[in-house]
Amino acid sequence: MKLSRRSFLKVSAATGIGAAVLSGCAGTRVAVQDGPQADGRPRALAQGEWKPAGCAGCTSWCSKEAYVLDGRVLKIRGNARSKVNGSASCSRSHLIIQMLYDPDRMKQPMKRTNPNKGRNEDPGWEPITWDEAVGMLADKIVELRENGEPHKFATFRGRYTNVNDIVYSRLPQVVGSPNNISHSSICAEAEKFGPYYTQGFWGYRDYDLERTKFTLAWGVDPLCSFRQVSYYTSAMGRQLERGMKMATIDPKFSNTAAKSQEWLPVVPGEDDALALAMAHEILVTGGWSKEFVGDFTDGRNRFVVGQDVPENSFNEVHTNGVVKWWNIELKNRTPEWAEPISGVPAAQIRRVVADMIEAAPYVVVMMGGGNNMQTRGAYSSIAVHALSGLLGSNDHEGGVILGRGASLNSAPSAGDYQDQLAKDNVGRQKIDQRGYKNMPALNSGRSGGGVVTNRTADAMLAKDPYELKVVLAYWSNFAYSAPGTQRWEEALSQLDFLAHAVPNYSEVSHFADVLLPSTFHLGEQMSALSQKGNTHTHVWIGDRFIEPVFDCKNPETEVMWMLGEALAERGFDNWHRYLRDNFKDPETGREATNPREFELYVLKNRHFPLWDPSEFASRNNHGDSFTGWEDFLAKGCWSSGDYNYKGRWSNMPTETKKFEFYSETLKKALQGHADRYNISIDEVMREANYPDSTGEKAFVAHYVESDVAGDPRQYPFYFIDSKKILAREGRSANTGYFQEFSDVDQGDIKWGDCVKMNPEDAARLGLQDGEIVRVTSPTGSIETTLKTWIALRPGTVHKNFGQGHWAFGRNAAEVFTTTTGQVARGGNNNDIIQAEFERLSGSTVYYGSTRVRVERA
Amino acid sequence: MARMAMVIDLRLCIGCDACNISCKQENNVQQGFFWAHHIQRHEGTFPNITYTYMPTLCNHCSNPPCVEACPVEPDKAMFKQADGTVMTSEERCIGCQACKFACPYGVISFNEWGQETHPEWRTPEAAALAQKVGGEVVAYSNPDRGTTFSVIRKEGKVEKCTFCDHRYQVGHDPRCVEVCPPHARIFGDLDDPNSEVSRLLRENEYSVLQPEAGTEPNVYYINKFDQKS
Repeated sequence: MKLSRRSFLKVSAATGIGAAVLSGCAGTRVAVQDGPQADGRPRALAQGEWKPAGCAGCTSWCSKEAYVLDGRVLKIRGNARSKVNGSASCSRSHLIIQMLYDPDRMKQPMKRTNPNKGRNEDPGWEPITWDEAVGMLADKIVELRENGEPHKFATFRGRYTNVNDIVYSRLPQVVGSPNNISHSSICAEAEKFGPYYTQGFWGYRDYDLERTKFTLAWGVDPLCSFRQVSYYTSAMGRQLERGMKMATIDPKFSNTAAKSQEWLPVVPGEDDALALAMAHEILVTGGWSKEFVGDFTDGRNRFVVGQDVPENSFNEVHTNGVVKWWNIELKNRTPEWAEPISGVPAAQIRRVVADMIEAAPYVVVMMGGGNNMQTRGAYSSIAVHALSGLLGSNDHEGGVILGRGASLNSAPSAGDYQDQLAKDNVGRQKIDQRGYKNMPALNSGRSGGGVVTNRTADAMLAKDPYELKVVLAYWSNFAYSAPGTQRWEEALSQLDFLAHAVPNYSEVSHFADVLLPSTFHLGEQMSALSQKGNTHTHVWIGDRFIEPVFDCKNPETEVMWMLGEALAERGFDNWHRYLRDNFKDPETGREATNPREFELYVLKNRHFPLWDPSEFASRNNHGDSFTGWEDFLAKGCWSSGDYNYKGRWSNMPTETKKFEFYSETLKKALQGHADRYNISIDEVMREANYPDSTGEKAFVAHYVESDVAGDPRQYPFYFIDSKKILAREGRSANTGYFQEFSDVDQGDIKWGDCVKMNPEDAARLGLQDGEIVRVTSPTGSIETTLKTWIALRPGTVHKNFGQGHWAFGRNAAEVFTTTTGQVARGGNNNDIIQAEFERLSGSTVYYGSTRVRVERA
Repeated sequence: MARMAMVIDLRLCIGCDACNISCKQENNVQQGFFWAHHIQRHEGTFPNITYTYMPTLCNHCSNPPCVEACPVEPDKAMFKQADGTVMTSEERCIGCQACKFACPYGVISFNEWGQETHPEWRTPEAAALAQKVGGEVVAYSNPDRGTTFSVIRKEGKVEKCTFCDHRYQVGHDPRCVEVCPPHARIFGDLDDPNSEVSRLLRENEYSVLQPEAGTEPNVYYINKFDQKS
């Protein structure tokens, strides 16, 4: 581009279909000058290195690469080796840089000197060494054991990596406690309920987006807060471009709703009515899959409104109980019936169903937590997931699939390292009251099979089943992330000893006795995670490639090793022996001698079946293969082989092996819980807050009246909760980028928090856009900014989760301090959402379950 | 001759701000400044709502009012390069802000007199961190920006998007183009009829921001963000 100075730029007229918008503006031309590189020699960019890594900022668990220059991490991108997210990297992944280099991170271990705990108490932090810090935790564990109460120890797990088994499962087992409390039931357990009690799968599904013709996004915004957000953000537009149709069912107008041809703004808590009407419509119009479900023996459709169907008239193939479902529930669930309940016009329901039938079986029914993390959401989870069964898209190309994971090594059993004290106590009732008569928590068919995270605060306060005394909590912040935060503050105030391992001083940290600053997942520690998406599963691994920015350690590995040594010094060496004996270098057989060697050997052992060629073969692994550990670490990502469609048809781990519209599997699980308490299933349903779900209805998806906290006369608005695009599960609010782009969420504001209301409602209440309001529910009250937003159904208010921190740092909170006088930036949704449960799954409820009033502050 | 331009496909765009965040990283743009940003608009009444998100940046206009407004002589401080891009010379900028006020798009930022840039990185704690890890003022500052512009800007100077001239001149796409998850942004030379940007404008209806201003922008938008609109 050699041009003399002040030569004149001749601009050719823009050509193209839309050129008209440019016409008539050929103004004066400006002089052209040479730029900063007038010598014509472009200067090359610095030559840093892209290091394999991954992101643990949400459950997407994307494979990444980090650009490292002179020991600093400057950029993030997707690892192109991944067949899941490829080179795509969502917007919030870039916040990693500011989270890593956050001047407000905890810089060294600290101990509390003020025994009084509370939000308004100054903990009196004093810096201590790592040996002292870990020694404090060891002292407390030894003390519990000496007092014969090791079960009063617990680990609280939040965001974790592939090697969490050690701290989460094995440590409590060796100490002698049943208590490992994960965050799972404040995440997605009710969402897993439907897939389990139809097709025997308790987990996240995958969706064959590239081959589908229609995507129904239900209670989910895959462009914001779902699994594999990087993949969906990269792929959604291309699918629309090639003609995929999409409909979104969500009370919130999301970016996915904008991308959809149809938005069905369901009344909060009434998703089940809509799903049942869709199922009804599929059957009466003859739109079900004959290949998957079957057909009437004579081919005549007897699914006629209001009419029972003889079971023997239908020849069912890969499903169970479609006629029973019709007779028990569906026959009168017409779109006209659903319209006044769900707020969605019958004509729109019919239109969407017709599109789905036309596309079937190439239909993705993508279900998030929106329709089921509700007080009575379990059957909505079944109803929505069952649509994929009716349409024959379940486990079908272009439909709802399950992924194909890798066979990895679990942490070896710790049984040989448990002494009698541990063995005597490890089988006790867990602290979270799972499996209590009124809390079936039927994970994978077992009474009390799943965690009830948010019940733990109540149990701690009630000392029921017993008092919890010593807790190691890592990468979790339940006093911010779980509804009913006030209960957590009280419970943590009463707790004898809390060690908290996180990177930033969080809400929970303020109640801790010792702070164990954690390394960040990317670059500062070794990390690995697995996730599915785009019909594949990947396992990524990231090495340490920078020194920790501050004096931090990995709570899953380094701290465990140090704790082993500290306990051994105090006369209890079982934990040290377990770690030493079971995590030797698989290549050399060497025992670890220090925390970082231990971390390395843990990661090597866990992924041995992937990187060791002979183990890879003997474990029947598939997809990418490696020549050895160094090769795996250098590439940083394994991707699975191709998915085997229809492999689960009539081969499902359900009681009937079929996809169950009438769930024999749920019947057995409910019976199991009933037997435990010697009560009937009807009584179980009443205990679990489904008083009308008696008789045969309990075994099929059926309409359940929603249970929303707050009398409508006092609390006139439904409260709609969702997640901010950049929230990274509530951990990124201290980054400048999060605050500067807090308005990326539709209707939200920069550097602040807001609640949104339809302008008609605001006018009726005499409230102005931009003023500070108080939002009050039966649970609590917050103050935040009111924004008017035309995209909301009148009678609802919407607020995103992610702001409202009173800790974390100077950007996250309005006033940040580790002493007293903190001021939150806006309000936290979890201060006002009721601490209730979907009891059949043990899920905490976030959606369609709370009413509020809004008034001038 | 060249005319560098960007085409943004709003159907592919998912409104995530990855472009705008990574722009700040690439160019060490301080808090409160936006070389790249967004326009958001809702239309209709419930339940018939449509939403439009449009990423924005310097339009590198063919008829740039900022250049016209720059009073610096004989070589302007805000000037047009032979490849069509509009650039800023920090050496020549006198801090009068005439360009900033002339720009109808609000994409030019001014570093106030008497104020250090990146003030949040000037606290003792933050400065210590930057020094410890080796960043220039900001711990994660990108030195690449310094090949054609300053890494960390000084008071009394304007700044704006350069189409990542430090990158495209050595064969890399602008960072916003590179990071966009759906590849909704295409960068290239409109004077080359075989370029992707030329092809996209030939084959699609397109629009520019404020055509009535007569600036002849070189950032073009194709397709609709909301599939209902």
